[in-house]
Amino acid sequence: MADPVPTQDDLRDNAAFEALMWAMARPGSLHDLPGGIADLVLALVDRECRVLVDDPSLAQVVAATGAALVAAEGADHAFLTRAEGALAVLAALPAGSPLYPDQGATLVLPATLGQGQRLRLTGPGIEGATEVHISGLPDGFIDLRAARCRYPEGVDMVFVDVSRIMALPRSTTVEGI
Amino acid sequence: MSLSNLTRPWAAFSYGFLDPSAKREIRRKMIKAIAVPGCQIPYASREVPIARGWGTGGLQVTLTLIKPASVVKVIDQGADDSVNAASIRRFLSRVSGAGETWDTLAATIVQSRHRIPEERLRDDQVLVLQVPNPEPLRPVQPNMSIARQMHADADYGRLWLVLYEQMVRSGRIMQGAAYPALVNGRHVMTPSPIPRWDVPKLNMARHLTFLSAGREKRLYAVPPFTRVEPLVFSDVPYKVEDHTRLTCHRSGLTGVFMNEIPQAAGGSVFEASDSHLGIKAIRRAEGDAAEIGPLWYQNGEFRG
Repeated sequence: MADPVPTQDDLRDNAAFEALMWAMARPGSLHDLPGGIADLVLALVDRECRVLVDDPSLAQVVAATGAALVAAEGADHAFLTRAEGALAVLAALPAGSPLYPDQGATLVLPATLGQGQRLRLTGPGIEGATEVHISGLPDGFIDLRAARCRYPEGVDMVFVDVSRIMALPRSTTVEGI
Repeated sequence: MSLSNLTRPWAAFSYGFLDPSAKREIRRKMIKAIAVPGCQIPYASREVPIARGWGTGGLQVTLTLIKPASVVKVIDQGADDSVNAASIRRFLSRVSGAGETWDTLAATIVQSRHRIPEERLRDDQVLVLQVPNPEPLRPVQPNMSIARQMHADADYGRLWLVLYEQMVRSGRIMQGAAYPALVNGRHVMTPSPIPRWDVPKLNMARHLTFLSAGREKRLYAVPPFTRVEPLVFSDVPYKVEDHTRLTCHRSGLTGVFMNEIPQAAGGSVFEASDSHLGIKAIRRAEGDAAEIGPLWYQNGEFRG
């Protein structure tokens, strides 16, 4: 058998997932994602997905994967390029149920990381507690997150700052300080 | 949208054996598994070229993670050189070009059946445990729809009843492997058939653990720094196997988990279950500079 050589697509998807996996496993930590939000789409989304997108060019990327483009109520993934509509989307996204916590959606949205509001994070993946700075989110976003994340129900979030990501899985407790 | 947009040029095989679509599905499920630690997430479980029940679940997670820079260690009940471990390790490196190792310290991905290495795993390592039966409630509730409702309600009383009955009948808890543990204070999981000795290694660990059952089509995860508490009564503390006084007859190691090897003449000798740790200890005794990492246990006591 010839030596197995990954294609560029394989390498990109693998690297994007690795960044996302470690970001989820260590909430609050920053990870490099060179291709930004589109890389996450390509690494995760497939024909089986129902996806909300707010940007026409990103919608083309999603449509090419064969995923259905739907409204927030029916989406399992939401990819936002603007934070303005994030409150309405977060309020409407499915959060799963106690029977099926895995049906809670994944919300990917832009934010500025490393500056702005100070948040204290505790929960799985965090040794003791950690502090992060984040800005660019709509007012009341963190409170709405707490209302939607009734563990084990909830929405898992990934914040994209150009080519860096930070994640807040539903298991993380967030306090504003 | 046309058919040609949705297809790719023909290729003899996909990198890492699984096709990109299968990997995306497993990735989505792995993300949810991390977000709800200990909660069993259903997944499709593709065919892989080993039989269901022989590590297909772990194999699919490893194949999703693997890249040419990965270094894989595969453990079968502590050993790197059993047929099952050697076959899986060779398969992984053949379909991905990843490196193979026996050394826990050199591995980036450790796929394991029924043991966690004695050397501490680091922040950057991923442990993938093969799981035959992912449902801790199965002995008390064979109907999986009802078991799902019990998980939803955190209704775990019957698991304590099982432990209580063991206490009443035998005077001690007889659960030797797959000891049920409460993860993040919410979901009880079976940590796969690892001995009681290995369960504390998952509690507030530095590494990321995936547990995947290919035949049962479910996977779950224990992220780093997550509470994994074995179910115990407040007046009956959790006890690991007492191997403090045992010595490995080949390497001279003490205070690690041992395999008992019965002898024809009666009696038995003991051998370190983590085979490569034993090999490194022998090499060191022979003057070789084999590096042994920090261990979870010291003199049979767990070092938090």
